[in-house]
Amino acid sequence: MKKLLKPMVLIVLVLFAAACASNSKPAEEAIKAAEAAINAVKGEAMKYVPDQVKALEGELQAAKDAFAKKDYKAALSAAKDLPGKAKDLAAKAKEVAAAAAQKEELTKTWNEMSGGLPKMVEAIKNRVDILSKSKKLPANLDKAKFDGVKAGLPEVTQMWDEAQKAFSSGNLADAVSKAKTVKDKAVEMMTTLGMQVPAGAKS
Amino acid sequence: MAEEKTDAWDATQWHEVKKGDTLWKIAETYYGDGSLYTKIFEANRDTLKDPNLIKVGQKLRIP
Repeated sequence: MKKLLKPMVLIVLVLFAAACASNSKPAEEAIKAAEAAINAVKGEAMKYVPDQVKALEGELQAAKDAFAKKDYKAALSAAKDLPGKAKDLAAKAKEVAAAAAQKEELTKTWNEMSGGLPKMVEAIKNRVDILSKSKKLPANLDKAKFDGVKAGLPEVTQMWDEAQKAFSSGNLADAVSKAKTVKDKAVEMMTTLGMQVPAGAKS
Repeated sequence: MAEEKTDAWDATQWHEVKKGDTLWKIAETYYGDGSLYTKIFEANRDTLKDPNLIKVGQKLRIP
C-alpha cells in the first residue's frame, strides 16, 4: 500500500495542476483579448471620453488582479465583456468627436456672423434713412420694394436679438440658425437697395 | 464701383470716381436724389475737403 501512495499522490498533484492550468487558460486569453481591444480604441477615446476609458482600464486591472490571485473564474468573468465594452466606447468616442466637430463648426460660423451681421444691418439702416429723405428713388428701386425693406427691418433686428439671446443661453445651433435667417434677409435687402453685399455674406 | 476691403464682412459700399462724375451725380445714382450728395461728402471727410473737388480714380464710401 505504501508503495502505491507516492505515485497516487503524484497523479493527484499532476491532475490538480492540469485542472488549474485548464482554468487559467480561458481567463488568460480573455484578459489578453480585453487588453488588446482597449488598447485599440484607447488613443482616440482618451481625447473624448477619458473617464470612461479609465473606468474600463479599472475593470481590466480588476481582472488581472483576480488572475494574479489565481481566482480564474472571477478573472474570466471580469474580462470577458471588456472587448464589447471597448467597442461601445469607440462608438461613443466617435459620437462625442462628431458633436465636438459640429460645435466647433457652429462656433466658427457664429463668430464670423456675429462680427459681420451688425455691420450689414447698420449699413441697411443708414441707407434706408438716407433713401427716406430722397425726393425720388434711384433706378431699379420702386416704392413698393423700398417699403418692403423698411417694413422688414424691425423683424431683422428682432431676429438678430433673438439669435444673440440663443447664443447667450448656450443654444448655439439655434443661434446660428437664426443668424443665418438674418443674413439671408439682410442680403436680400442690400440687393434690393442696390448695395454691395459683403463677400462673407455671400457664402 | 471698386471693392476696397480686407474684412470679408465689411458692408461699406465704394464708388470709384469716373470722368464726369460729381458728388451730385453719384448721389443721384445711389439715392435717386442729387441733393443728398452731402451724405457722401460727410462720409468721406477724411479724404474730401471740398465737395466740388473729386478726382478720377478716387474711391468714395457710399453710406
